[in-house]
Amino acid sequence: MDELKVFTIKKNIQEDNAKVAEITRSQLRKQGTYLVNIMSSPGSGKTSTIVRTIKALKDEMKIGVMEADIDSDVDAKAVQEAGAKAIQLHTGGMCHLDATMTRQGIEELGVEELDLVFLENIGNLICPAGYDTGAMKNVAILSVPEGDDKPLKYPKIFGKVDVLIVNKIDAIEHFDFRMDLLEERVRRLNEDIIIFPISAKTGEGLDEWLNWIRKEVRKRG
Amino acid sequence: MHELGIVYEVVRIVDGFVQENQLTKVEKIVLEVGQLSQAIPRFLEECYPAAVSETAYEDTKLEIIVLPANGKCKSCNEVYNIIEHRRICPKCHRDEYALISGEEFNIKEIVAG
Repeated sequence: MDELKVFTIKKNIQEDNAKVAEITRSQLRKQGTYLVNIMSSPGSGKTSTIVRTIKALKDEMKIGVMEADIDSDVDAKAVQEAGAKAIQLHTGGMCHLDATMTRQGIEELGVEELDLVFLENIGNLICPAGYDTGAMKNVAILSVPEGDDKPLKYPKIFGKVDVLIVNKIDAIEHFDFRMDLLEERVRRLNEDIIIFPISAKTGEGLDEWLNWIRKEVRKRG
Repeated sequence: MHELGIVYEVVRIVDGFVQENQLTKVEKIVLEVGQLSQAIPRFLEECYPAAVSETAYEDTKLEIIVLPANGKCKSCNEVYNIIEHRRICPKCHRDEYALISGEEFNIKEIVAG
């Protein structure tokens, strides 16, 4: 039998994912499409926030959405009705999207003429935070009923995102949710994070978020 | 639970290395997995037989080295495990630290011929 030797590899398993994500980002930048990755737990209002955003911006820019869901097309339909180009990524049992799945979605959607694309990640606060999808910016949504302690329990996602949307602020009086405490906890993990308290239901606070998107899309490329 | 996908990725990378270096037999794959990484060692071990079943790596062993989630206290420089100590420095009781290890997920080495 041949003699066995130790071969040092020292390869980070995420290296290939990071490469694919970088390729996606530079291609999208070149063609002028702005990709935003939206992450949250199930039920925090990803789809309703996206729908509200589409309705407000559809006359200013061309918008597309990739909906990742275990198995249904409920969300894609809602988004199409709001006025955006949409596809449903059926991800089987996956708990997150990686850069390759995102690329496949981009090809399927066809983004050449689009100005803004939302990637609605799988409802999960843990796994999506670990994977670069190729998006220009990462956004997390936390809704008031989930509680202001979530940054303590899921520090990775709150430490990583560029923007935090705090949704369902219209219901804040019914919950022991302290916005100041949340902000303090989030800033400890992520000093420069931008926080937008909104209600996707009533539209409260939405203008700041919309203006941020407008600004980002304008300076894309 | 995404460990199966991760294990497939490990096997794919190892296979690339094996082809490139024209190796014939891989005795063992050694992973370094941080306590804060995306994967749980026990699940990796459970998925592994399924990922290598009916491949050239069916008899290849998997070894996992767990790297601690260590932080260095920003106040007193004490290095401590942030999971065991619930993020609070055991020496000065503050909770601001810089993470120095724990997020790794590396294929460290393979033993092959």
